[in-house]
Amino acid sequence: MISQYLGRLAHELDFDPSLSCQVVQEVEDHLRETVERDPAADRLEAERRAVAKFGDPRVIAAQFAVVSLAALARRVAFVAVLLIGAVFIAMKARVAWYGVMQWPLAEETRVLGEIVLTIDRWAFWLALLTGALGWIYIGIRRAPTALTREYRAKLRRFSLLCSAAAAALIVCVAADGLLTLLRLIGAQWSVALVVPLFSVAIEIMCAGVLVSYLRAMAGRTTRTACLAPAAS
Amino acid sequence: MLKGHLDMIVLAALAPGPAHGYAVIEELKRRSAGAFDLPEGTIYPVLHRLEQAGLLAGRWVTADSGRRRRIYELTRRGEHALAERRAVWEQFSDAIGSLFRGSRTGKRPA
Repeated sequence: MISQYLGRLAHELDFDPSLSCQVVQEVEDHLRETVERDPAADRLEAERRAVAKFGDPRVIAAQFAVVSLAALARRVAFVAVLLIGAVFIAMKARVAWYGVMQWPLAEETRVLGEIVLTIDRWAFWLALLTGALGWIYIGIRRAPTALTREYRAKLRRFSLLCSAAAAALIVCVAADGLLTLLRLIGAQWSVALVVPLFSVAIEIMCAGVLVSYLRAMAGRTTRTACLAPAAS
Repeated sequence: MLKGHLDMIVLAALAPGPAHGYAVIEELKRRSAGAFDLPEGTIYPVLHRLEQAGLLAGRWVTADSGRRRRIYELTRRGEHALAERRAVWEQFSDAIGSLFRGSRTGKRPA
């Protein structure tokens, strides 16, 4: 009976495999101890009582879902700031490399380059500002006990900030890609090209990772909202 | 009412020292003389949430039974949080107590 119960609990917690594994181990310890301390001679009856006293797995999973969603939101905020920082380092490394290689923009692409550079800068600072705001906004809030309307609104605002950061970062990375292209047009293939190309690849990867985190959070929010009525 | 104070109750149950989920629930039942007989599963999300907030620290140990067991204990922040909540609660409880004592004597406000 305990194994069946743990199987149901693991199934309900499948939105977060590492949490599921930890919770199932904890709950198993709890249920086995409850049975061991039950004076009833009938073990099956003791197991039935232990499981009944523990509660509906769906309700428990719903409470854990809120805790897990809050942790994920904090992780997304931290990762967003980290990735924006990584993009900044990649940009600076590339610019430094251009200096070392004495690789200026061609005269015919200078005007376009300056326009793109302005867009790049603004997009980057917007990404950093919204990302940092999102981090602060979600960081100063404790995880609630349930997915209340108020917490949903907070998550929505946080998602908006993070989406704005991701969109700005994508614009910044696209501008960096274009700037790199402008600088490399007509350049002969050499090992020196690897540095700017690699740094742009890192930036694209950072933007991709941030988008995938945001998608994961949206999915988790939906899943938690589906489970949440069980907790109320 | 109990739901709104679960954090404080769990922190208070862990004040004497580290304990696992089962022991926390037993301690709550014992110290409240059975008044806090909650559905046992509701304590675990609270323990995880408090750990996430940095008020508790959890670690895995192997129990005598050979099972893996997660032990929780108050962090320094948890101790501060408990002291703060206790002070607020005592103030609130005193105020309500005074109010009830006043109503028992039958005095009407002027």
